[in-house]
Amino acid sequence: MSGSDHNRWSEDLAAYMLGALTPDEVAEFERHLQGCEHCQGEVRWFEPALHSLPESVERQEPPPRLREALMAEVRADVQPEQRAAKKRSWSWFSRPAVAFAAIVLAIALGAGYEIGKGGSEDGGGASPLVTHENGITMKMVPDGDGGTLHLANLHQLPPDKVLEAWVRREGQIEAVPALLVPDRKGQAETAVADMSGVDTVMVTEEPQGGSEEPTGEAVITMSVPQ
Amino acid sequence: MAVRREKAERLADEELMPLVGRKDAEAFEVLYDRHGGAAFSLAYRIVGDRAAAEEVTQEAFISVWRSGARFDAARGSVRSWLLSVVRNRAIDFLRSKAGKAPKLDFDDEAALEQRPATERTEEEALRRETAGEVRGAIGNLPGEQAKVIELAYFGGFSHSEIAQMLQLPMGTVKGRMRLGLEKIRGELAEGLA
Repeated sequence: MSGSDHNRWSEDLAAYMLGALTPDEVAEFERHLQGCEHCQGEVRWFEPALHSLPESVERQEPPPRLREALMAEVRADVQPEQRAAKKRSWSWFSRPAVAFAAIVLAIALGAGYEIGKGGSEDGGGASPLVTHENGITMKMVPDGDGGTLHLANLHQLPPDKVLEAWVRREGQIEAVPALLVPDRKGQAETAVADMSGVDTVMVTEEPQGGSEEPTGEAVITMSVPQ
Repeated sequence: MAVRREKAERLADEELMPLVGRKDAEAFEVLYDRHGGAAFSLAYRIVGDRAAAEEVTQEAFISVWRSGARFDAARGSVRSWLLSVVRNRAIDFLRSKAGKAPKLDFDDEAALEQRPATERTEEEALRRETAGEVRGAIGNLPGEQAKVIELAYFGGFSHSEIAQMLQLPMGTVKGRMRLGLEKIRGELAEGLA
């Protein structure tokens, strides 16, 4: 290839790197690039300049809700897979945080906390389950096979924390997909799609984005009569 | 078993990517915490609207989450790859809103002063230094070179569209792009010397 022929590719190279060639031109340039060590060297030389362009922009702080929404989507992707894959072999009582929660539950039961069919306010049909603990009220309102978990009197959380609900079914712990973020009134709710076989519902404080297993202390625990 | 958050924080980006490919949410979260700000800033620079930048950034990161295994370490850093994904998404967004003019300014010195003091790592300090150098390099470019680079990289315009817009021969546009990139590259090299 003569020098003047090659000038054409040199001329296109910066436009190629800046994404300013048409798809056909890109394909043609990349065919040339595969066999041209000179252009490959130039691409490598220009790369730091190109990679520095996005670093030159004015810094904008992303809103916290972007991170929350992103991680909620990620967790939603992960949890069905993990549920299927794990069918967890670990015992409910094998984790310190869960063992702590169980102790809290036992103390609550002993102290005569209102656990079980405490909700008379909803009248007929399946009764809501209500429990109070640490000044927090948790109510599970049955709906079909599942239900809605309502929490009230929650304290505002530090920005790096969220509440996560868990259910125990046949001795295995499952995370409830949507994380709980208290509103200004200290209330939060989340849906539990399937309550069949669930004997306990627990809420723990977890790092932002949630966890795959309970890691924080239980803030409230509810026994579900079978 | 998923790597716990604290462990993930100690890993380099290139070590996180295989974990992201195996759907490790903690690894992905660390990746977002490291680069989400730059990604959002770039998206905002291109689309010029916070809500749209949020949408673009979320889409870009979700595409990374779902295709993490596609990252090729031989072709550059994770950050560069991530930002190129964001840039492509943002340009697609702009094109889908055809007719929307890109923001065109590089007068970012004042904004640089206002950047929050939340990132204090050595790496971030280096990035800031680099960003400052690039701002300087771009600011030092002759206006006509800066303009074609802005239109191409941040506006997503092809060289022929730019030629038409600026009423210049295509060869002139491509030549200015090359001269501009050469100058930025040269100033970065001087900064590192």
